[in-house]
Amino acid sequence: MFKQKITYRLLLIFIFFALVLVIPLTLTIRKEVNNMIAEEEKTIAPSYEERIIHDKFSERFTDSLIVFSFYTFILAIILSLFFSKNLLTPIRELYRGAKSLKDGNLGFRLEVTTGDELGEVMRSFNEMAAALEKKTDDLKKKELYIGAMMDPLWVVDKDNIITEINPAFTKLFGYDRDEVIGGSIYDFLDEENARIMRYQLDEREKGVSSIYEVSIISKDGSHIPVLITGAPIIKDGETAEKIGILKDFRMESQLRDAIKESRDYLETIMNSIEDELIVVDKEFRIIMSNKSVEAKYGGRVIGEYCHFALHGTTTPCWHKGENCPAKRVFETGNIYRTLHQHRDPGGKRLFYEIVACPIKDAKDNVIHVIELMRDVTGRKEYEENIAQKNRELTALNSIAGILSRSLKSEDIFSSVLNKLLEVTNMDGGAIFLIDEMNRELICSHYKGISEEFLKVAGRMRVGEDIPGRVAATGQLMTTQDIGTDHRIERSILRHSGMKGYCAVPVCGKERIVGVFCLFSFKPHVFTPEEERLLTSVGEITGLAIENIKLYEKMKQLYEYQRQRRADDHKNLLSISSKLASALDIKTVMNSTLDLIRWSFRADIVWLLEIENGNLILKANSGIAIKEGKAIYEEGTSSIEWYAIEKKEPIIVPAITSEAKFYLSDYIDSSYKSAVCVPVYLGEKALGALTLYYSISRELREDDIHFLQTVSSILAVSLERSELYEKTLMQRERSETILQSISDGIMTVDNKCRIISINKAASDITGIPKEGIIGSQCCEIFNYTEENTDFRWSLGDCLDSALEGKSANVETQLIKTNGKKISVMINSSPLINLKGEVVGVVHVLRNITREKEIDRMKTEFVRIVSHQFRTPLSAIVGMTEMIINEDIKGEKAKEYLRTVHSEGSRLSEMVSDLLDIARIERGEDVFRENDIEFSSLIEDIERLFSSNIEKKKGKLTSHIEGDIAGFKGDKEKIFQLIKNIVDNSIIFSDEGCKINIDISRKGEDMQLKITDNGWGIPDEDLPHMTERFYRGKHGQEVKGTGLGLSLCKDIVTGHGGSIAFDSKVGKGTTVTVLLPLRRRS
Amino acid sequence: MSKIVVIDDEAFILMMIEDKLKKAGFKVVTLRESINAMSVVKNEMPDLIILDWMMPELSGIELCKMLKSDPKTNAIPVFMLTAKGQEADEQLGFKCGVARYITKPFSPKALLEIIEETLGKP
Repeated sequence: MFKQKITYRLLLIFIFFALVLVIPLTLTIRKEVNNMIAEEEKTIAPSYEERIIHDKFSERFTDSLIVFSFYTFILAIILSLFFSKNLLTPIRELYRGAKSLKDGNLGFRLEVTTGDELGEVMRSFNEMAAALEKKTDDLKKKELYIGAMMDPLWVVDKDNIITEINPAFTKLFGYDRDEVIGGSIYDFLDEENARIMRYQLDEREKGVSSIYEVSIISKDGSHIPVLITGAPIIKDGETAEKIGILKDFRMESQLRDAIKESRDYLETIMNSIEDELIVVDKEFRIIMSNKSVEAKYGGRVIGEYCHFALHGTTTPCWHKGENCPAKRVFETGNIYRTLHQHRDPGGKRLFYEIVACPIKDAKDNVIHVIELMRDVTGRKEYEENIAQKNRELTALNSIAGILSRSLKSEDIFSSVLNKLLEVTNMDGGAIFLIDEMNRELICSHYKGISEEFLKVAGRMRVGEDIPGRVAATGQLMTTQDIGTDHRIERSILRHSGMKGYCAVPVCGKERIVGVFCLFSFKPHVFTPEEERLLTSVGEITGLAIENIKLYEKMKQLYEYQRQRRADDHKNLLSISSKLASALDIKTVMNSTLDLIRWSFRADIVWLLEIENGNLILKANSGIAIKEGKAIYEEGTSSIEWYAIEKKEPIIVPAITSEAKFYLSDYIDSSYKSAVCVPVYLGEKALGALTLYYSISRELREDDIHFLQTVSSILAVSLERSELYEKTLMQRERSETILQSISDGIMTVDNKCRIISINKAASDITGIPKEGIIGSQCCEIFNYTEENTDFRWSLGDCLDSALEGKSANVETQLIKTNGKKISVMINSSPLINLKGEVVGVVHVLRNITREKEIDRMKTEFVRIVSHQFRTPLSAIVGMTEMIINEDIKGEKAKEYLRTVHSEGSRLSEMVSDLLDIARIERGEDVFRENDIEFSSLIEDIERLFSSNIEKKKGKLTSHIEGDIAGFKGDKEKIFQLIKNIVDNSIIFSDEGCKINIDISRKGEDMQLKITDNGWGIPDEDLPHMTERFYRGKHGQEVKGTGLGLSLCKDIVTGHGGSIAFDSKVGKGTTVTVLLPLRRRS
Repeated sequence: MSKIVVIDDEAFILMMIEDKLKKAGFKVVTLRESINAMSVVKNEMPDLIILDWMMPELSGIELCKMLKSDPKTNAIPVFMLTAKGQEADEQLGFKCGVARYITKPFSPKALLEIIEETLGKP
């Protein structure tokens, strides 16, 4: 059909084309050709032949045109057929392809045969078919997915009509696809679920996705709970459809119900447990609890921190060092049992027995802790009560123990009070004892009370205040709070800060002996048990106190006896030691008698000594008689003579009634009794010791013994005293000798302790004599470390001498004033009569001066040899050169002159030395010449002119005043001035100025030589006139060190003095004072 | 010709040494004052210096120290010719750099020999 239509149309087109174009064209050509022939015939008259030719041509031409038209027509048909075939074949193929696609054969592809537009169309068709096939495959896959989905799915359009479901939907709800598609979503929901759905679909419309739970009515009418994941399908920015994936929630729902059920069950179990139970998380928040907890801790505790809910604190209990069971379980992961304290909302302390168990996750981590808490407060209190009772019993027992063990009231009161305070848990207390004489309570022991308070409340009358009343009534008194107790109106305790208070009578056998009181600073309820305990303690303490009193009486008696005996011993010891070590026997004897008088309570005690047949007073006490007085002459019938005769103590109980005894005038009738003990040394009667009493008194036997002992000691002492006096004299003599020796003598015993030291030793060492006797002899020099050598040396000598060998050593000592001296120590052993070494005698000699002289001698030799060397050089060297003929002729003469002058210098020096030696030995005589000073000074100026010139200096002089009377040794005065001026020149730089000033100064002539030279250093000034002393500057120039020494000798020889005043860098002034009239 | 500087405050000592050494063929410069000695030595640059110890203003030992501490003069040997005969003095001299220590009185001949030992014959 399609083929014919195309073919016909093409055929018609070609035929029409042939007819429209070919026929008019043919006709037109024929007409034109005929016209042309006609024209030509008009112009040129054709011949006939020609016309025939023309007609023939016209005919043939017309025939040709007809043939041409016919062929053209045929050609048109052939062409139309050909083109229609070419066009038709692809179109037919396309048609076939389209049909195949339509039939679902998406794999069909056209064969592209041409490269023209039709070919392109066919290629596009193939691509389109391929795309379509892919899309279809995708869709098919999706459909497969949806079909394979386990969960039901629905798609709802804008009007909430279900447009799509999957097979799972059918499977779950039993509806066929057709029953659902096109139906409203609300057809499958009851009213309540429809409401939920409505809300959810509205949300989808807003483009919001969500998950929600509804129940869908299934085909069999049952409600199936599903969890729907709903999402909008957005197209062009708007919700086109809504898709919901429904999850069968029957299982979960059942599970949830089961959980809820088991939870309810658990809760029921938990709540039925009487013990409290909580579950805490890692932050110690309570996440579960039972009703017991809520009942105990007032309402809900869930969400609270366990320490806040159960302890009422904001900080965890382990922060305060308490043991937290939950924390422990979290840390260890093990079950933990403990006893723990909580506080209820009222702050009451609760004791719990806690079992804490871990709840662990799959990884064995503890995530929660269950604490099962059993309130054992009641049991604990019961236990504590028992413990308290135990303590009380123990206390009572221990108090009874204390009371039975000790007999010292101090110990008892202290121990009982401490024990009571411990048992009753009170803050302090006191024990009062009743003074029966004054009916007073006196605090005997206390604790927890200030001394100020004790001054006020430590003493009260019986019947006064609480303790007084208890003492009067014998009834125990307790109060919870003194301040609020109406029974107590007036009491100094009311404002003391005490609250809980009890006063317990301390009952003896027949009466109350005291009261003990206890107090606390907070109210205290005394339980009947406590009161019973306190009463019992009061009773047993009372008995104990009575016992103590009895014991103390006995003890006092015993102590008195013991003390007496001890006093006797002590006195005896004192007397014997005093007498034994006595130096001043008279004083000691008097004090001994004082002691006896005091000890025996006598009125007079005297010691009479037999001297030249009479009894002379040697010492006395209690009467003013001078020692040495004769009391009883020989042969008088005095008690003393009687006792001496009898050689035994005489006791005279009543002197006046004993007529046989003659009494001295000193013993008048007021003395009633006496005891006399003879003093014997072996068989030698020395005297008698007598005690007089103004009351009748009888001495016990041990007293008499004591006196006999004293008398024998006195006998020895009396004997000794004579010996002692002799020794003392001897000793004084030795001491005087010792002290007057110029060498230091220090005696030490064999323990190196100083026994004696004489003045010279003290002077040499600088150590004062006083207070060093008994000191270690080496130690007294350790005031400076520099004495170490000295101490070693002294020690060596000491050791040697103690071995019996004398030793001596030279050493140096730093005296206490810091001065260094040379000392020779000579130590010899001190040997007693038995030949034993009992000590050492050190003889110390200050050899500083001798050493100095030695040193000076050495120095002298050194300087002299040095000074001699230079002139000797001329003599030795120059003569050698002359002899060797190095020098000849005139030059040799010059050499010899030098040898001569240097020889003279040498000789001068020798003279100087000899001068000094002579002056010092006193051999030189100072002549007395009148001296013309002006000419003498001129000579000096002349002498030094060349030297002064060399130094470019100036020497000036000035003489004034009346010095005419001066007489002296001219040569020596010249030498004096020369030496000083020479020094001034030597010790000056260029441009020196030297002035000689001579004037009168009172009775003296003053010679003052001043220079502006180098000056003398301070340390050299004191030594200027010492022989051979070369000061700091002296090291740098030649000299003998004798010049100024000679000057001093000259000045001294003239009876004058020399002084140096100098400043380094400024100059020196030497002032010489010489008396105008020489003193003889 | 070796040059020797002799410093001593005693004129006769200088005269004696000068005569002896000149005769032996040395060139001799003598100096009585030690205070200018340093500049003289630097100027002359001798081969040997003979010094007295005890001199006013500047002692021989001080001068020796100065000579030894000056790089220009420290190589010149110094002979100390002195009346100080103590061993301690001698040691101090050596410590200060003295090459030979000769005590007075001395033999000019012996001195010459010692010099020749050090400088060789002129």
